[in-house]
Amino acid sequence: MVDSEQDTVARLERATKTFGTGDAAVTALDDATIGFRRGEFTAVMGPSGSGKSTLMYCQSGLDRLTSGRAFIGDVDVSTLTDQELSVLRRSTMGFIFQSFHLVPALNARENITLPVDLDRDAEVDEAFLDELAVVLGIEHRLGNLPSQLSGGQRQRVAVARAMMPRPEVIFADEPTGALDSKTSGELLTYLRTAVDDLGQTIVMVTHDAVAASHCDRVVYVQDGRLVDEGRNPTVDDVLGKIRELS
Amino acid sequence: MMRRTLKLAWFKRNRYALTVVAIALSVAFIVSTLLLTTSIADVGQPLRQGYERVDVVVTGAEVAVGDGPDQAITAPVPRQTMDDLVAAGFDAVGFSDPYAQVIASDGQAGGQDQTSANVAEPWLADSPLNAFTITDGRAPASPGEAALDRSTADAAGLDVGDPLRFVTDDGAETTTLVGLATFGGSDNDPYTSTLLLSPDHPVFTGVDGFDRVLVARAEVDDVAALAPGQTVRSGGEWILAEENALNDFLGFFSTFLTVFAVVAVVVGMVIVTNTFTVSLAQRTQELALLRLVGTTRRQLLIQVVLEAFLLGAVGTALGLALGIAGVSALGWFLDVLGLVIERSSGLSSSALVIGIVVGVGVTVVAAVRPAWKATAVAPIEALRANESEQTVGGARRFVAGGTFIAGLVLLAWGVIATDILITGIAIGALFLALYLGADSLVRIAARIARPVMGTAGPTGTIASRNLERNAGRTSAAASALMIGIALIGFFTLMAATIGEFIAGDAGEALEADLVVQGIGSRPEPALGDDLLAAIGSVDGLEVVVPLYQTSVTPVAGATVERIGPGGDGALGVAIADVDALRSTFAFEVNAGSLDDIAGTAVAIDQATADTFDLTVGDPLEVTALAGDITVTVATIVETSLPGAPQPAVVGDLGLRAVVGLDDPATIAYVGGSAAAADVRAVIDLPTVEVVSRDDYIDGLGSRLGTILALVYALLAVAVVVALIGIANTVSLAISERVGEIAATRAAGASIRQIFWSLLAEFGLLAIVGIASGLAFAWVAAAAFFNTLSGGQIGTPTVDVATGVLIVAGGLAGALAASWLPARSASRADILDALRAD
Repeated sequence: MVDSEQDTVARLERATKTFGTGDAAVTALDDATIGFRRGEFTAVMGPSGSGKSTLMYCQSGLDRLTSGRAFIGDVDVSTLTDQELSVLRRSTMGFIFQSFHLVPALNARENITLPVDLDRDAEVDEAFLDELAVVLGIEHRLGNLPSQLSGGQRQRVAVARAMMPRPEVIFADEPTGALDSKTSGELLTYLRTAVDDLGQTIVMVTHDAVAASHCDRVVYVQDGRLVDEGRNPTVDDVLGKIRELS
Repeated sequence: MMRRTLKLAWFKRNRYALTVVAIALSVAFIVSTLLLTTSIADVGQPLRQGYERVDVVVTGAEVAVGDGPDQAITAPVPRQTMDDLVAAGFDAVGFSDPYAQVIASDGQAGGQDQTSANVAEPWLADSPLNAFTITDGRAPASPGEAALDRSTADAAGLDVGDPLRFVTDDGAETTTLVGLATFGGSDNDPYTSTLLLSPDHPVFTGVDGFDRVLVARAEVDDVAALAPGQTVRSGGEWILAEENALNDFLGFFSTFLTVFAVVAVVVGMVIVTNTFTVSLAQRTQELALLRLVGTTRRQLLIQVVLEAFLLGAVGTALGLALGIAGVSALGWFLDVLGLVIERSSGLSSSALVIGIVVGVGVTVVAAVRPAWKATAVAPIEALRANESEQTVGGARRFVAGGTFIAGLVLLAWGVIATDILITGIAIGALFLALYLGADSLVRIAARIARPVMGTAGPTGTIASRNLERNAGRTSAAASALMIGIALIGFFTLMAATIGEFIAGDAGEALEADLVVQGIGSRPEPALGDDLLAAIGSVDGLEVVVPLYQTSVTPVAGATVERIGPGGDGALGVAIADVDALRSTFAFEVNAGSLDDIAGTAVAIDQATADTFDLTVGDPLEVTALAGDITVTVATIVETSLPGAPQPAVVGDLGLRAVVGLDDPATIAYVGGSAAAADVRAVIDLPTVEVVSRDDYIDGLGSRLGTILALVYALLAVAVVVALIGIANTVSLAISERVGEIAATRAAGASIRQIFWSLLAEFGLLAIVGIASGLAFAWVAAAAFFNTLSGGQIGTPTVDVATGVLIVAGGLAGALAASWLPARSASRADILDALRAD
């Protein structure tokens, strides 16, 4: 299942992640090897506890592998110090979480520019910020604090924050999990647009077949192993596969 | 209920750990203080037992009243009165309490400690007036023999049969220690080292007057008829007065210690309230959930209060153990300072009970209000996202503002009317206003600092915003620090100002090269004529100026309020050869001429002239040892000689006879090029010291320094409790923000960026506490001094070095307290934090 090394933005090589030791040890990721190509929207699916989130977090360097290697571009994240990882996160990665995780003390605009502002040498690309805000429909809410925004608006701010540094890859963990179907539909449409128009790479962990149907590729994980994958999935394809796995 | 509470409390043990420590420290402080004060030995018991057969006591007329046993002056009872009583058949003995300093086996002045008087008393054998009982060896039978009270013998390392060296105003001599005695069943006369000599010892003969005459088997009226002009009381009344005088002195310490215990408890209470406010706010959802599943508000309230009770009980248990250990530490510290308090052994059960009640009670009471507010949560809150915004109590801000304005108005009134009570209330009101308004201050400081902190990037912005948003919760840490800093600042300003007042200008004007003075007090060791002559013979010395000191009280007119130990009521008088004195002290003459000082014509200082509205040539009637006399103002000088308190009146040697001062000199200014060691060499008495001019000036404030050291040690406890409060607030505030920190980290903030933004936030909080504390201290001190001195002391003397030390210490302490919580929060695993949120 190894993709061509060409144009691979992120990849895991023989990645194993074990939690706990001895009898209590749980293998969340078991010798997994996978790559994510530039400009591709990938859904990672699997039953609860299958290891799909672990895969994503180990790939992004937020979690450390027990063995194997995790690359972002040509950089093995397992060799980096926390300082180097921090810099890597703010410049080449974006994150979108189920529960948004905006900084409550900062307004929408400040939340969006946070990754750029954290880098003393970087300048905020105002035109790009405006463009993002308009496309996401939050241009009139930039001065508001997160507590003054609706759930959908908060998630769109989170998306803008992930997009802002023009990252190599965006990792999204159940981004539609806390949204209603209409709002989540809009969000997925926007993510799709980002991939198509800007060539953005997105890796999205989800258990929502509808969400997965927006992707170019879907990867199925079970017991920490990659068990299958498909291209341009429909909702029915995904539902069928999920039923088969569980 | 209890089971669930225990389980919940255990679950939150880390959050409560610092609160428990704060409670423990507060309880430890109050318990050790109470144990110390309740263990202060009963001075009445030995006095009553020792003097039980004394029926009547004659003492002299009061010349000057003072604060302590060493400040009051009474005229001596004339020998004639004694002789009349004896002639009339009364069993009467006069006591002159001559100075007698025992030299310990190590050659140093040895007695019990510096709070004790060092006196000689005649051995009265089986007279009913003898309060002493020989318990080892035998009584002194000749001038070559002596007995000692057991405590002094013990402290000096002497035993029966040893040679005993001691110093009196006549010089040093060596006798044989033949016996050890107890006083009224106790090992010593309270706060006195007594050397018992045979009545025919020269130290008792040739005395013109007595400190007191004790009479047995007599009635007050019969004695009074033979003692005109004297104070005649029954033995019981006199014992009570003596007891009260000693207890006043001890009561000062008790009050002093209790005040600091209360401060520690108040700071502890602030911390407990804060902990519950924050931790309950964080648990809004949990509480709402419990409500949702059917818990009544009453049940919730009981649960929270039980939690507080548990916390209080654990903290108190630790505090009691610490407190019992602490009382020895406190006693040791007082010993080191030379403020030895005679104590009985054993623990007072009431002190322990009070400690338990205060520890548990304060915790429960402090938790009630936050619990009441938090349990008012609607069950629906459980279903809402936990994004509750902090609401600012408008009423609280209004009350703080109102109290502040009222405080300022009262302060102005108190200072203008020189009414210390109003000034005191005003200071209290301002303090309350600062406490209530702390959150507003923090918010303002955060807003001011925002542009500066913003330059550090978004983490700086986050820090200042969070401080502003959470001011209501975190300002408790600033308040706790403010209390500590305000007290330290106030006492530092007080010390510096009083020190300046005592030794400032007067100290600078002193031109003597050396100062010779006795060590110890009550009675002050004298510099005899032989000694002065010996000093005068040292090569290189140009001048030796002995000073004779006494006090007088103005007969009519205003009472004199002087700041400084024992300074009110009486006027200090220094008598010396003025011509010689002028070569060792540079008087600054404001009116008249120093040449005119002679006989009853004296110099007074400007402050005294202002108080009594005196100009050159005016008379001033005063009560002196010799009775009521009138002196005239020959000259007014800007500042009088250094001293604590400073003498208000300086007279020439001729004044000595006029005021009736027979006592020898107690201090001498020495001018010339001889080294201190050369002068020291001719003295040969361990009770007299030769110090340089600078050391003498510094030493004037040393008594103040001793008390200040005690204040600092006690305040240190309050400050430590405050710092624990900061660590506590920081931990709580950070635990509230785990998700936010993780989100910022996920967006690419490094550990270092997070750490420094947290430190900046709490550093700013500390600065608010320190700044408001210092500002309050300055205003309070300025108002205090202005009120007490009637404007004589305008602004407090600021000791810059100490100020810098306080600021640096407070900031360093606060940052140290924030360090670990900030470090662990910034290093926390991002994923764990995201999941937990």
